[in-house]
Amino acid sequence: MLKRPSSRRHSAPQEIQINLVPMLDALVTMIAFLMYTMAFMSLAMESPLPVVSTEENATQIEEKPLQLTLSIGDQDVMLWSPFDLIPQITIPHQSDGRIDTLKIHEKVLELKQKFPTEKKIVLVPKANTSYESIISIIDSVKYLERTDPLISALNPKTGVQEQVKELFSETVFGNLLGGE
Amino acid sequence: MAFSRSIRHRRMRRKIHKDFDLQLTSMMDILVIILVFLLKSYSTSTHSFTSVPGIQLPVSKASETPPDSLHLIVTHEAITFEGLRVVEFIQTPDSLNSSQATYAFKPEDLDEGSMRIPRLYDALFKAREKAEVLRAKSPARDTSGNPLPFDGILAIQADKRVTYDTLRKIMYTAGAAQFRVFRLLATKLEH
Repeated sequence: MLKRPSSRRHSAPQEIQINLVPMLDALVTMIAFLMYTMAFMSLAMESPLPVVSTEENATQIEEKPLQLTLSIGDQDVMLWSPFDLIPQITIPHQSDGRIDTLKIHEKVLELKQKFPTEKKIVLVPKANTSYESIISIIDSVKYLERTDPLISALNPKTGVQEQVKELFSETVFGNLLGGE
Repeated sequence: MAFSRSIRHRRMRRKIHKDFDLQLTSMMDILVIILVFLLKSYSTSTHSFTSVPGIQLPVSKASETPPDSLHLIVTHEAITFEGLRVVEFIQTPDSLNSSQATYAFKPEDLDEGSMRIPRLYDALFKAREKAEVLRAKSPARDTSGNPLPFDGILAIQADKRVTYDTLRKIMYTAGAAQFRVFRLLATKLEH
């Protein structure tokens, strides 16, 4: 009589199937929550309140600063320095009346190359300048584009030339306390 | 004939049902990748700024996430400070549509040569006093043992069509209430 063949080989392997449905539910809920509470907002700029000094500035300042000023007009934008350290630059608006932020960026980049340690820019918008225009101008004078040439400046603390990461990062509204 | 076709059709359908098994593994993979991406880009800071329906924020290249601070919102209807409606703009039939909003103040809502907004000043002043009281009670002290000074930071969230004239009045009023730094908020530009 033949021996009964072993049933070990023929026993069907037990398939363990993980129930993915509740895990999927949890993931979808988490994604929905994260997307809902995520910050899509950025800090466009931080501007300090200008301080009015009653003392005579000329006696305080030994070296004249650039104090780059950007005045927004109805037809153009002007870049100038109250201490006449740069010739006045006029950038006309585009034909559709929008501010030419690309040109502003180009000119500001040139000025940064000449004055790499300067960080401040005084913004003088007109009363009817929109918040959107102000933000786009701040973007163009603050951030370097990937295609922009490298600019280096001497770090006074370390005495080492370091690459500049931003153009004019400190924006102050020049006519906040009065004026046009 | 139709009866037999129907039976055959039903049998076939049953067969398909028997073999069909939804492949959830690939979907899980996708969801996990999305989850990891979201968790990575999710800031754990204590900011509480969320966009307000009805206002269109300007777009900025800035990537910094605004830290938590007192929060002022300029909608096409009113100025809201810390969730409370402080001043309402002049409403005209056209301005009910947000694209035609005037953002103009009522004459009685302005003083100091139409530069200061008294009701907003009062709200900001109260917020400053409250912050100073909290700081006085806080164990955090500066090097000389005094309570930390009021930081005076105000985050402003405004519709992109708001003019500088309106913003200037707000910042002037905040300056009068000892707010020294203004954070202008915008929507992050998608790269």
